[in-house]
Amino acid sequence: MLIKYFAWIKNITSCDQENLDSKKLKTIDDLKIHLNTKYPDLKKHIDKDTLRFAINQEYLSENKKIYKNDEIAIFPPVSGG
Amino acid sequence: MIKIQKEDFNIEVEIELIKSSLPSVGAVTSFIGYVRDFNNNKNVNSINLEVYEKMVHKELTKITVKAKQKWELIDCLIIHRHGYLEVNEKIVLVACFAKHRQESFNACNYIMNYLKKYAPFWKKENYTNNSEWLENTN
Repeated sequence: MLIKYFAWIKNITSCDQENLDSKKLKTIDDLKIHLNTKYPDLKKHIDKDTLRFAINQEYLSENKKIYKNDEIAIFPPVSGG
Repeated sequence: MIKIQKEDFNIEVEIELIKSSLPSVGAVTSFIGYVRDFNNNKNVNSINLEVYEKMVHKELTKITVKAKQKWELIDCLIIHRHGYLEVNEKIVLVACFAKHRQESFNACNYIMNYLKKYAPFWKKENYTNNSEWLENTN
């Protein structure tokens, strides 16, 4: 599955997107645990629930199942306009 | 109509492009957002606007459909730029076309408020000595 990062999150991940092995990641909560381990500097933001998640360009409001062809975006609260 | 682009735009030309084929429109309300020179107690030199293009089209389409149904708009136009912008440059245009003014006022405000909360853009301000990503204040 494709994970996309935006804004200052890219400074932590050192990339704007990556493909993750979907076999062990069944839900968004699984993904959060995985990211907390892979990117320790992201953990405090994920734990404080300050980041937004979108699956296939739809905002996420609860833990959901994720699938291998999903595009999951992680970003801070938006600041356009 | 939704346009997400790097290039600057001419407000009158864009509005007239739509208005000229809609003789039943009696009212157009527009909002234009600009890059300001001072924010968070700092002098701003320029900004960089990042966008999640696939998602922004979905989100803005969603809100324009809702606004059209809620206020019987005849049409609406959103232009939002991204990339590098300097102070005084235009960032965004929202224009709502309706028979009467109240619908166009209400819809323009509604769309702009939604855009500020949900449209996937992120603004980084560039100061003399550093840059900062803005936090959402909405």
